[in-house]
Amino acid sequence: MTRWKIVLLAVIVVCVAAFVSRKTVTAAPQAAAASKATETRSAPGGAVSIPDTTLAINSPTPMSQRIVHYEIDAKYNATKHTIDANEVLTYHNLTGQALDHFPFHLYQNAFQPNATWVHEAKRDGSRDTAYDHWDAKEYGSEEITSLEVVGQGDLTKNLQYISPDDGNKEDKTVVDLKLAKPIAPNAFVQFKVAFHEQMPETQARSGWKRDFLLGGQWFPKVGVFWHGAWNCHQYHATTEFFADFGVYDVKLTVPQNEVIGASGVEISDVNNPDGTKTVTYHGDDIHDFAWTVSPRYKVKEATYQSQMGPIKLRFLMQPAHWDQVERHEKITRDTLDHFEKWYGPYPYRTLTVVDPEPDSASEGMEYPTFITGGTSWFMPEGLHFPELVVEHEFGHQYWYGMVATNEFEDAWMDEGINSYTEVKVLDSILGKNTSMINLAGMTLGEREGQQLSYASVADRDAMAQNAYDYYSSNSYGGITYGKTASVLLTLEGIIGEDTMAKAMRTYFMKYRFTHPTKEDFMKTIEEVSGKDLRWYFNQAVYGSPVFDYEVSQVDSQPVNWYEEKKDKKEPKKGAKDDTVYQSYVSLHRKTDFVMPVEVEIRFDNGEKIREHWDGHSRWTRFSYQKKAKVVSAEIDPEHTIQLDRNDFNNSFVVEPNPKPTYKLSTYWLFITQWVSQAMAWWAV
Amino acid sequence: MNSNNGLLSSGLGMVMRNKRYIFWFWLLNLTLAEFGTAAFRRSAHAILDHSLLSDKLMHSFDIGVIVDLLQRPEFGQTDSMTTPALYFGFLFFLFTAIFLPGVFAGYASTYRLPREDFFRACGRNLWRFIRIMIIAGIVMGVFAGILFNLNGVVVKKATESTNEVLPFELRMIGFTVIFLIMTTLRIWFDLAEADTVLNDQRAIRRSIGSAFQHTFRSLGRLLTTYVVSTLVAVALLLGGLLIWMKLVAPSSVTGAFVIAQITLLLLLIPRFWQRGIAVSYWQQRMLIPVAAMQPAEATPVVAPPVPVAPTPEPVPVVSGSPNPSEETH
Repeated sequence: MTRWKIVLLAVIVVCVAAFVSRKTVTAAPQAAAASKATETRSAPGGAVSIPDTTLAINSPTPMSQRIVHYEIDAKYNATKHTIDANEVLTYHNLTGQALDHFPFHLYQNAFQPNATWVHEAKRDGSRDTAYDHWDAKEYGSEEITSLEVVGQGDLTKNLQYISPDDGNKEDKTVVDLKLAKPIAPNAFVQFKVAFHEQMPETQARSGWKRDFLLGGQWFPKVGVFWHGAWNCHQYHATTEFFADFGVYDVKLTVPQNEVIGASGVEISDVNNPDGTKTVTYHGDDIHDFAWTVSPRYKVKEATYQSQMGPIKLRFLMQPAHWDQVERHEKITRDTLDHFEKWYGPYPYRTLTVVDPEPDSASEGMEYPTFITGGTSWFMPEGLHFPELVVEHEFGHQYWYGMVATNEFEDAWMDEGINSYTEVKVLDSILGKNTSMINLAGMTLGEREGQQLSYASVADRDAMAQNAYDYYSSNSYGGITYGKTASVLLTLEGIIGEDTMAKAMRTYFMKYRFTHPTKEDFMKTIEEVSGKDLRWYFNQAVYGSPVFDYEVSQVDSQPVNWYEEKKDKKEPKKGAKDDTVYQSYVSLHRKTDFVMPVEVEIRFDNGEKIREHWDGHSRWTRFSYQKKAKVVSAEIDPEHTIQLDRNDFNNSFVVEPNPKPTYKLSTYWLFITQWVSQAMAWWAV
Repeated sequence: MNSNNGLLSSGLGMVMRNKRYIFWFWLLNLTLAEFGTAAFRRSAHAILDHSLLSDKLMHSFDIGVIVDLLQRPEFGQTDSMTTPALYFGFLFFLFTAIFLPGVFAGYASTYRLPREDFFRACGRNLWRFIRIMIIAGIVMGVFAGILFNLNGVVVKKATESTNEVLPFELRMIGFTVIFLIMTTLRIWFDLAEADTVLNDQRAIRRSIGSAFQHTFRSLGRLLTTYVVSTLVAVALLLGGLLIWMKLVAPSSVTGAFVIAQITLLLLLIPRFWQRGIAVSYWQQRMLIPVAAMQPAEATPVVAPPVPVAPTPEPVPVVSGSPNPSEETH
């Protein structure tokens, strides 16, 4: 390069830097910080950028706006359950403003006695460990041993633990890094992090159990700059995760006897002289990376032809569950079929389905292109729990994996929407009333299951609230999963099943590889349906009113009752009854959720009448004068309202039918007799 | 026929000769359970009878509807359903304890035991049985506590293994061992009960002591018979449930009730069979032999010389007079 070219280049760089500096001052309120903003697009040693690789996706071009690139070189000590790793994080500042600090999640620090996560789990009696028997060797921890910002030197001393959610000073799940110099908009910055990690005995689908490890949330992960601020919550007992899309290149060094599975595609597998092997993975357009090892996995590989290209399916099964590998494969394929047909294509080239260590609290978890199932060595065909878990976790590839909502603040948007699609998909694959259980005459459908989980906590919380602000873990589960599914199933009845399906597809295709908000979701449904649904969303999503309508009274009396009184002769059976009856059907809105409903009234001459009630008043009454008596009245005769907390009082049959009670009583009687016989067998 | 078959068949023979006891105990069981389930029925009627939703119960065993019903506040707390059932279950156990002496007496009897004798045996042995039950309860409770805890420790240790099925296998092995030990204890106290009633033993310690010796003297023989009868009970229960599931239409309440009650009636047989075995064993081995009466030496009687007389007139037979050969005592 000649001297004049160097001079010219220097002038251009200075001018560009000055221009960027000015823009930063305008964009960011932190004027002082912005004035020092530096361009780190070119770090020493070469140009820095996020790779635009497509090795792990069936697409010729990147599918997301890639903000992060993680390069991690990790060594796992299978005896101590520790990880020592070096991480290089390249971050592309697309926030439009200078960034002078970066928060990082250190999730594994949640598994310490004074962490917020443990406080909450202990308070709610939830999660996976009986804390009274919790031993220090089962704790988890995550420590950044050194952190260098390229161009700014070692900033380890600038790290400071923060607790933005609850002020718990003992909580070390978020650490904030104050930079020496802010990062200008559109600039890149590289962090070189060395960290040491003690994995916990599994909690919240992360950690070790026996000789198994699930590496989830295992590396320092930067927060998301969202809506003008950093979004980096502490780890809570009921929260999941939120991260930016990018590229992952991860080298995992593990003992050679381990069978390994991970997010992304496997690039290489090299044996080392020290008895370890290094397996390298690459992931595109994903926002997390998880892996697992166990020396006992049995592996099945298969290929699924998706709309965008072949997908390598990999099933890592426990030896005692090997006879269920076909079940796992079948439900994976069926679920892929449905999601691709209904919502959109699955673009990744791999999907790893892990059957985790039994009793490891690792069942049922989602990571990009990597899910864990949940089964047991004894699992009759009629119990569909493995199918349910695999379907649900696969669904998260869409609702979380690609449509990457904020799981800390809008948990219902991933868990709930996923529960809704779970109902739809499992109804289609396994039958509406039998999708959970179809064994020895016993049946249970997924939609009933969702409704039951919601009904028990219906008045506790709203859907639209932080996941860590729920009354309890039960309420979190019932509302986030059960209520959302019920709300969306009910919405189907309002806008029509086909319209809802179209809206869901539109939402997915529009917001995949982004971080949509709840308003994005609701507006999409309103746009596709062409209906103003605020009245519904305000109650169902933003509020916590409970839906409970009842048929409170059904009565038919002869109009000329006074004449009847004089002549008490009953009409002969079979003879035409010319009596004119005055009939009343009263409906009662027992709680605060207001919604129009249909009512079907049946008469003893076979006539059916459909009525509409807007539900605005607390009650309403329909009256009829007919030569027929009312036989029954039923609210929501099409059974489209999934949100009703009590379905028993939605109908009233004038002539009581005691047979269902007798049937149940027979079962209860049998159990009572049998138990008393058993008691007498042993005691006397 | 070996000795086990002998005990099994003689025990079963006693049960079959006294089928009425099975019937009465079943009736007692049913009646008490009816009371025990009244609260459940009342609550269910109030919610289900006028609702169209309850129709779903008639087409299958819809778990969703049942769980929904159980968690309705107006249905009441689960405790309010289970507690009466347990109380009446306990009553059945008490009544069993009261009437069991009569059953033992009936089984030992070679003729149909009159009602008053049955109840006399019950009354006479009531306090003895209560004492035996208390001792049996303590012994069995201690054994059960130790064995179940031991099993728990072993199983917990097994969960550290990478063999997922091992804890289950060990639990099952543990249950089998516990079952055999508890059955041995049950044999011991069954024999003690039989001895108390049939020997009219006031000092129950003697019955318990004697039964203890006999239990371990003939353990193999007795345990085999008890295990066989228990397996029959398991087969009856599984068979009944299978028939219920396969043959009874979900909508048939009467069918379900009949099959359920036949199963429960039959389920009473194995336990009464075991009591029959205990009585049979008692008769064979524990009955204190009574020294046989030796017939008196026949002393020839020298008849005095009778003068030859004319042949007497035959006595006319009076209609209705007792026939000595048909006289019963």
